This record gives sequence, C-alpha cells and structure tokens, in this order.
Amino acid sequence: MKYAYFPGCSIHASAKEYAMAANAVNKFLGIELVEIPNWNCCGAIDAVYAYNPLLSISLSTRNLALAENMKMDVVTLCSACFFTLSRANNMLRENADMKSRVDKAINDAGLKYAGGVRIRHYIDVLANDVGFDKIHQNVKVPLKGLKVAPYYGCLIVRPTGIQRFDDPEHPTSMDRMIETLGAEAVDYPDKTRCCGASLVMTDEEVMMEMTKALLLTAKNAQADCIVTPCPMCHFNLDAKQKDIESHFNIDIRLPVLYITQLIGLAFGLPPKELGLHRNIVSLDKSLAVKNIWHTN
Amino acid sequence: MREPKIGVYICHCGGNISDTVDVAKVKDAIAKCNGVEVCETYEYMCSKPGQDMIERDIKEHKLNRVIVASCSPRMHLDTFRRAGKRAGLNPYLLDMANIREQCSWVHDDKQLATSKATTLIHGLTERVQHLEPLEAKTTPVNRDVAVIGGGIAGILASIELADKGYKVYLIERNPSVGGHMAQLSKTFPTLDCSACILTPKMVYVSQHPNIEIVDMAEPIALGGSPGNYQVTLRIRPRYVNKEKCTACGECAKVCPVKQFSKHEEGLMQEKCIHLPFKQAVPAAYVIDKDICLWFNKGVCRVCEKFCKGKAIDFEQKEETRQVNVGAIIACTGYEQLDPSRSKEIFDGWNVFSQYGFGLHPDVVTNLQFERLMLQGMHRPSNGKPPKKVAFVLCVGSRMDRGIEYCCKIGCMNAIKHSLLLLKALPEAEPWIFYTDIRAHGKGYEEFYSKARGHNVKFIRGRVAEVVPNGDNLIVKAEDTVLSRHIEETFDMVVLSPALLPNSGTGELGKMLGVDLGPDNFFLERHHKLRPVDSRIEGIYLAGCALGPKDIRETTVETMATASKVATFLGKGEVTLSPEKAYIIPEKCNNCEECVQYCPTKAIESTSKGMAINSISCIGCGICVPRCPMEAIDLKQSTDAQLMAQIEGTSQEDGNRPRILAFLEKTTAYGGADLAGQTRIQYTADVKIIPVPSTGRVGLKHVLHAFVSGADGIIFIEGDDSPFREDGIRDHVNNMKKQLSKFGVESLRLVSLTTTLPQYEKVVNLFQTFDERITKMGRIPTENRKKIAEAFAGGK
Amino acid sequence: MSNHRSHQITADMTDPSFIEEIKKMPGGDKILDCIQCGVCAGSCHARFAMDYSPMQIMKMAHLGLKQDVLSSSTIWICASCYTCASRCPRGLNIPAIMSGFKNMAIRNNVPAAIALKPKFHKAFTEIVGKYGRMHEPELQIKLLNKTSPRELIRNASLGLRMFRQGKLKLQPSRLDPSTKFSEIIKNASEEEAKK
Repeated sequence: MKYAYFPGCSIHASAKEYAMAANAVNKFLGIELVEIPNWNCCGAIDAVYAYNPLLSISLSTRNLALAENMKMDVVTLCSACFFTLSRANNMLRENADMKSRVDKAINDAGLKYAGGVRIRHYIDVLANDVGFDKIHQNVKVPLKGLKVAPYYGCLIVRPTGIQRFDDPEHPTSMDRMIETLGAEAVDYPDKTRCCGASLVMTDEEVMMEMTKALLLTAKNAQADCIVTPCPMCHFNLDAKQKDIESHFNIDIRLPVLYITQLIGLAFGLPPKELGLHRNIVSLDKSLAVKNIWHTN
Repeated sequence: MREPKIGVYICHCGGNISDTVDVAKVKDAIAKCNGVEVCETYEYMCSKPGQDMIERDIKEHKLNRVIVASCSPRMHLDTFRRAGKRAGLNPYLLDMANIREQCSWVHDDKQLATSKATTLIHGLTERVQHLEPLEAKTTPVNRDVAVIGGGIAGILASIELADKGYKVYLIERNPSVGGHMAQLSKTFPTLDCSACILTPKMVYVSQHPNIEIVDMAEPIALGGSPGNYQVTLRIRPRYVNKEKCTACGECAKVCPVKQFSKHEEGLMQEKCIHLPFKQAVPAAYVIDKDICLWFNKGVCRVCEKFCKGKAIDFEQKEETRQVNVGAIIACTGYEQLDPSRSKEIFDGWNVFSQYGFGLHPDVVTNLQFERLMLQGMHRPSNGKPPKKVAFVLCVGSRMDRGIEYCCKIGCMNAIKHSLLLLKALPEAEPWIFYTDIRAHGKGYEEFYSKARGHNVKFIRGRVAEVVPNGDNLIVKAEDTVLSRHIEETFDMVVLSPALLPNSGTGELGKMLGVDLGPDNFFLERHHKLRPVDSRIEGIYLAGCALGPKDIRETTVETMATASKVATFLGKGEVTLSPEKAYIIPEKCNNCEECVQYCPTKAIESTSKGMAINSISCIGCGICVPRCPMEAIDLKQSTDAQLMAQIEGTSQEDGNRPRILAFLEKTTAYGGADLAGQTRIQYTADVKIIPVPSTGRVGLKHVLHAFVSGADGIIFIEGDDSPFREDGIRDHVNNMKKQLSKFGVESLRLVSLTTTLPQYEKVVNLFQTFDERITKMGRIPTENRKKIAEAFAGGK
Repeated sequence: MSNHRSHQITADMTDPSFIEEIKKMPGGDKILDCIQCGVCAGSCHARFAMDYSPMQIMKMAHLGLKQDVLSSSTIWICASCYTCASRCPRGLNIPAIMSGFKNMAIRNNVPAAIALKPKFHKAFTEIVGKYGRMHEPELQIKLLNKTSPRELIRNASLGLRMFRQGKLKLQPSRLDPSTKFSEIIKNASEEEAKK
C-alpha cells in the first residue's frame, strides 16, 4: 500500500517522534509513505486563511497538485493538515470564484490541479486499509492492563461534510486500535473536545483551560496515559502539561503518546526507535507505562 | 357522419364582450365559415331566452354542432350542454369559445380584440366539424374498502365507513391494532387517558359486523383499477390459533425465552410467546419466530404442552390472500428517529447522536417516557424516582440537510410530561430545553401557560450535548435569552426525536402508485383543497402517513377520508368521463412504448393486444404523441379535432405575429381566466387553445401550426399535472431539438409550469414571448411550404 | 450596542452592506439561514473566553452591526474545532465565517480585541511565504515583544524543555527555488491587496 505522504511542518520539528514511530511500524503493516517532494505548509487551519484566504487555499492546493502528479492518495499524520488540505478540495469544488483564482495562482508556479486527490488520515489507513486483524497479528507485547485514554481531538472527526471516516460524536477507530493492542480503552466524555491548539501562541491561558479540562476527565477515568493522532494536540497535552499543572496548581502526570508509539510498543520495538525519549512528560510518571516501556 | 351543421351564438355579455368586440362584425365573418348554418348574437346567452334560442335553432335548423362564443367554458359549459341536450343534441357536440376572460377583458384595442375573437371562433368551427357524440359510461364499483394501517387513523376510518354500511378490511401488520396511541399514557391538552379513549374503539372495531381485522398482514401487490381493486396480502403466521386462544397467559409463564418488548419501547421484557399488550385486539398470543427455540434449534415447545385450549399451532404457515375492494385508505402512521444513529442515515454536515441515547439507561425518548409513566415513573438505571428531569426538544428535527420538518408534537408532549411528572412526583424538577414552543392547537397555549404556572423551567436554547457522568447526566446548552452557558446535572433526560414515515411507506407508495413528498411522507393531491386524496383515483390517505400531527388532527383527516371514500363508492357506480385515450388496433404493433408514459398505469398488454383501462385513464393524452405508430387517440381531443383547431386559429387577417398557446385545461387555463378577471392587459397576438395536458401536443401538431400560419408556440402546464416534475421541460426540449431539422428556430417554442394564482407569470410570458417573436419576425411563406414538404416527406 | 450595557440599536450603528459583504466570503452565503437556536453557543469549547457567543455574532451580523462584530473577541478566539458546525441544524459553516470576519477585521484595520492575533496571522503568513514551511523559533521571536513577561518566562522554560528533547528545529527548511513557490505568494498577495 503506497501513499503520497504529506508530513506537515510539525513532523519535522516538534513532532519528529510521531513520524519515527510511524516509520518503524509501517514496515510491519505493508505501508509505504512516499514524501511529496518540496511540499509546503498546508496553511495551518486559519493561521494563513485569516490573513489571506486565497493564499491559504493556494498553499493547500499546491500540495494537492504535486500529489496528483504522483497519482496516489495523500496520507497525513497531522489532523490539522488533514482538515486544511480537505478544505481546499471542498472549496475548489463548491466555490467557482475561489477555484479560478487559485488556479491562476498555482499556474504561476507551473502547476495545475484537476481535483482528483483523496486525502486520508493515517488512522483511517490503519483502521480501514490495513485492518485491525493485521495489526493484531503483529502484536508481540500485548499491553495488558494498560489503561489508555484515546484523545481524538477535533479535526480528525469534524467537520462531517469532508471525507470523514469515523463518527463525529462517538468515534471508535482508536478505541478499537487500543483494544487490538491488548490494552484497555478508557471511556471518558472528552474524546473529541477541542484542546485549543490554534490558540496556543496567542491565547495561551484559554488554551490551557481547554486542555486542562480533558486531561482531568481522562485522569479521573483512571487512564494511565493518553494517545493522540495529532502533533498539535500532542504539543498541548504533552509539552504544555507542566505549565498547566503549575498554572492551575493541579497534578496530572499523564504521559502522552502518539498512537504510532503505542502501536510500536505493542509490536515490541525498541523505545529509541519510537522516539519515546522525546516525549516531554516522562513516561515514568505512570507506573503502568513505565513497566511496559522498560520491558521493550 | 352527416354533413356538419353548425350553430354559432355570440354573446354580448351585457357589454362585457360587445363593448370591446364588434360582435356584429364577428357575426358577419363567422357566418361565412365552412359548415356554419346559423350565426346569431344575443345580449345574454346564458339567460333563458338565450338558451331557448339554442334549443329552438337545433330543432328548426337540424343543427348537429353548436358553438357558444361567450365567457369561459369553466363558467357555463355545463349550462349550455344541458340546453343542447334538452333539444336532443349530444352534449359533446357543443363547445365554447372564450371571448371574454381571454379576449374582451384583456385587450382594449377594439380592432385587435374583434379580429382575435373571430379567429378563436373560426378555429372552433373547424374543430367542431370533427366532434363525435360521446356517452359518459358508468361502471359498477365494489363497495368494500381496504384500510391499510390499524392505528387510530385506520380504526376511526373503519368505524366511519362500517357505520355507513361499507364492508371494511382493516389490515394491520402487527399482531394487534392500536398503533402508537396504544403506547401513550395521557393525551394533551385534556390529559385524557389514551387507552380509555382508544380501547373502546379497538373493541368496537373487532366486534363490528362490517369490519374484518386482518392482522399480521401486509399488502404485497395491487391489481385492478379504481372502484375494482385487488389487494394481495401476505399474512404471517402467529403460531397461535386466534379463535382458540383465551389469553390466559399460562404459556408465557413457562416460556424460557425473553426479549425486550416492542410495546414497552425496550424498557421491559416479554416472553417469546406473548400478548402484544394487555388490551391487544385481537386478544390472542403470538410467537416470535426469530427467537423461538423450536424454530431455531428444534427444541422446547413447552408452551404447547401447557396450553389448555390447545391453541398453539407450530404448523401454521404464511398465507397469501386477496381482497377485492373499491377503494383503499393508506394510513400507515409514523416511527421515531433512533437518536443513537447519525452518520448511517445522513451523510453530510449534521449529527444528532450527541444526546447520549444508548450510552446511559436514563436517556430515554418521549415514547419511552410514556411507558415509564404507566409503569410507575422511575429511572431505568436504578428503579428510583427521578428528581431532576431534562426534556430535550427537536432531536434530529428542523435540520437543513436531513429532517427539515418540525415533529409538531414535541413541545406539547414535553409540557404534558412535565405536568404529569409533577403530579406523580411533586418534588420533581422538570426542565424543558426548547428552540421554539409550538402550541398551535385548541387549548394548547392555555396548557403551556399552566406549565409555566407550575414552575416548569423553560430554557431557550437547543441542547448541545448530553454527557453521561457516572450515575447522572450533564446537559449542556446555552440559555440564549441570558447568553449564559448552562451545565446542569439531571437524573433523567427525555428526548423528542424527529418523526419519520413508518418503515415500508416508500415501498407501499410504489405499490399503490402514491407519490412521496420531499419529506418522504405520502403526498396529497393538493395542499389546501385535496389534502386526503392521493394522485390515484380511489386511493386515499390519512394520519401521520401524510406527515406528523397530533391525534385530533388525525381524527379530522380520517373523517374527511372516510367521507371521500363514501362519495366515491356511494352510488355503487362510478361515472366516467368519456374523454379518455383509446387504442386504434389496426395501427398498433404492440411495441409497448406507451406503457411507461402513463402516469396512472392505465395502459397494459392483454391477450387481445394493448388496452387502456378507461377507469384508470385520466385523459391527459400524454401517451398520444408518444406512440410511434399514431395508434392512440384521445376522445374529445382527437388528432383530427386538434389539427383542425390549430389550422383555424393560425389563420388571421393582418401581419401581426401569430402565437398559439396550448394551456392545460384546468390549472393553466384557470390561471388565464383569473388574469382576465383582474382585467390585466396583454397582447392579442396570443391565442389560447385548451388541451387536457400539454403532453398531448406533439411535434406534428407544432409543425402543423407553423405550416398553418403560426409564428410562435407556448406550452403552459399546471404544476399539479400528471407530468412529473421536469416532464414538460423534457417534452418541449425534445421537440425543440426536432424543430431544427425542419428549419424552425427552437426559440419559437417556449414552456412554463404554473400554479393557478400565478397569472402574472403567465401574462409576463405572453408579453416577452410576443416581443421575441416580433423581433424574430414572421416565418416566411416559402419556409412554411418547406416545412410542409419536409414533414410529408418524413412520413 | 457600542458597549455591553447599551440597550439600544440605532441606525447609525448598522451597516446595510455588511450582509452582502458576508455573503461573498466562503460559507457566508448561508448566514441568513441562522435560526438563533443556540446550539453553537452551547457547544463551543472556547465560549467561556468570548465576549459574545457565536450565536450572538450571527444575530449581530443579521442586524448589520459590523463594528461590534469585528471588534469582538469571539471572532479571534474561535479555534475552528467545528463542533458548532457539525451540530448546527441549518448547516452553517461557522468557523469559516469567523475566519472570514478575522480577515475582514484585518483588512478594515479594526483594532482586534486580542491585539496579538492579527500580528500572529501576519507573522505566520510572512514566514510561510518566505520559507514555504513554518519555522517556529522565528515566529516566537516575531511575537516576543508582544507577549507578557509571565508568558515570556513560560515560553523560555518550554523552549528549553523542547530543545533538550531535540524537538526544536533551529534551522528553517527551504523549498527548492525551481518550484517557483514565490510566484504563488506574489500572486496571492497582490490579489489580497486588491480587495
């Protein structure tokens, strides 16, 4: 299974470990990710859109045009990129004025986009192309007794009009994946609650309030750790966890893993290969997790 | 046929016509036309002296055709036909020219109005030469009725008709009649006990000599025609002999298999062999084959051993049965949306599964709440009485891409439930979360006020989500009045799910030929004036199968439906207009092209060749131009008659553009008459020819018009026409494509669909089309000759 | 509604062309479909930080209260999580409309309720325009003098943490010039300036 791979800006910087673990795991699942050459920033939801909507859609469309040349579906690890690229597809289809202006813009760089590219999130590929059975077959170290809270976040399940693959209110793909790995998927009400990722640089306190809420409900549901499929969410939950703890004077101590890292652990892969040393909240903060990652 | 002897009578209409149209001049011109024996004018043709004149002339001059040129035929056609009949003239040999609503009232130029009147009457003189005497047929009808659906609508309809003396088959697919009303506790706003008003009717229906309840039955095929239908039923086996079962209940006591009860909306369990509910009618037990151990594993049959009356019969088989009826009522009711599903039903933007239904036992639907009221109000989770209860309205309703319509009963039910809750548990705290409170019916607003007075909390804000939180539930919403976020904890949440047409409505509609509306409920013939008729003669609709409504409105509709059925079947015979399509056997090659076009499925292939059922046929004529062999014609609008009228109406003195407008004779024509009544003015270049449906007019008629002198052609169809949706547009577009082969610009043809009151739209079209044709210029004579040659050659 | 306590809307507060302007933005064509049910306000995860709820913004837009809409904090706080849009019974794309309002505020030079926001969008766009990809350290620096001392300290300690874990990319990635990426930037920037 070959896909045109769109990493997105975070993967090369703050979210390196997500891709490291994905690469480690892909070999076993028959997934080949071919990076789109000279891809550009997707536009990051509305970071660019608010300033220049045409530029934002053009940025997304450039990537789609490059992928179209590769004649493959686009796969991305980041939910924000998943949304931003899908939005361009939709908008080009529904808004003739935007389409003609975008066509002109990318034409200036010698590119054309006919509209045929499908955008998939990596989780969708795992759940529907690879299948849970195949994942299960590769499990060497069943994560027995580990209570994992799946945090989907927003843009992997919403908006519902654009290429979504799971229920927007009660998604189950990651829950099933966790169970396939032998762990226990923790049920808590904030699986799809917004962490405030797009607010982190400008409204930090608002973002912390939003992330705090879901960290607490996950913790209160007896989770040992959280998994997430998005670098933006991961940053808020992981890198900012300490700040949240001190700002609100609370104790969270929840390691935050990328879903690929969890899969890698269950596959018995060495932690270094999965980039586990890069996670900011130490995995040792949870005894249950500590036991597993030191076993590997 | 004898030589036509036409009598033409031109009415002054007390100046309404004669003030504008020079009737004397018209008389002179018409007297010279072919076949005209007598031509008179008179002040008031519809008066006694006027009618006497017609009768006298018929006898004296041996007239065999009469034309009355006066007001619209929609006014006095029957009047004049009766006059003719009195003198021995077949009514179908008398026709009218509309020179008032569609001439003198709408054109103030006297010369043009006079010229147009002459043209219109001349057209008719050509037409009437081809008229034939026709007889209205009567056919006996079967006076039995099939009522499909045994809920309150079906029950009341059956009683109404049975009391009038009709035999009724009440067909219900469940083991008992009663429908959803049997599940309700009390009804709003009177708080009548639902079972107390329903069950006596159920018993009455079971005992009425004229009603036969056919339970466990579903229609699977429909044959025949209006007044003589054959409905084939599939009857599922109950595995219990109804006559022998005494409903003692011994069998259920020993049955080892349980399942969730449908009647209790899944809140309680029943045995595999069970009575649908205590007051079930027929009062007999039924075995659920899907879970019965005997049918699945070949063991058990304990119930049989314990049945003293030997009523259990595992050998029962599915049966088919045919009932012959004259009319059918489809009143199959509704079902509720399952609020746990989202993506599966609707792809797109909207979801409604955020209410926690299925994730926590204390999130229930309003129908489940009814059952809880009757079981003794308690929380399903722990059996304890609830204290704080949230009522969430509009679950899945009023959504743009999805279920757009309002469920109509949600608000009233929530108010009712709040009051009942407080009565049962005075310490309870009901909260109603609403977007709008709809209290439209009799006594409803007062009921709402009562709830307010009883300290029921109303929060204006559509609920965002319901989150299970341990034992309790958190409801999140914005109080939009205060612009404040609400997050309250409740013991129970009651949802008002959207209402959908009952499962199987679509299939039933297809079987009966009844259309579904855009909301997927059955579609009535006319929103205001024919709310319980379907498009098919003899098939009527009632209740929630037409759309969500409360019990009172269902009752009112049911009375109307029963009345309609009684009118239809009352005389024991149905009088049919003779204006129907018929097959010309010598020309027919049995290609069966025509069958697909008939909107009432009236054409069928029989052992004796193609036949058109004169009862089902509605005389629209859509089939006529579609026949490649020209083997179909339409009485009173035959090809010969139409061609003659076209020719006569396309000839006129002067060089103004000649535009023929074919108007469907009920709605579109009615609209043109309405325009006349308002005295709105438009161009006299347009001459209107009424047709049963514009579908009846085909390429050959259009070409004949151009050959005869017409320069432009308009088609106007009523929006309630048998032409489905884009029918007229496709029909006309096809013709336009063909026109180019004959050297006629496609712009010389235009079409419109209209409702009766939109006469301004019609007039606007007349004006703009006239401008277009004027600009394009008249068709040169040589071109007309070429068309004639090309057409003849094509034959 | 020039301040929260004023109870009257007068004609001079309303801009009749506002609705037409909104209808031109992607997603804005449906703005008048809003029936003010409030499910967006009830669902919004960032509502607590907003001065007006999303529902109120829609209503204000209906009434032509352009200044009030563009100077609200609501439009900037919207995190585009799409919870509101997925539940809206009329299918309004609320985040797209909010982003459209952000753009309108920037173009109309309306002082943002959250001063840092327009600067953020501008800085982000400039960096992506320059390199083709985001370079976070540079973004931090561009916004540095706009943040409070408390935030500065927090960011510094976070920066250190990230650096230690190897998650800070100090060098920006650049796209190959043969891609003519800059032409797209040029075209789109000129088009935006025309608006």
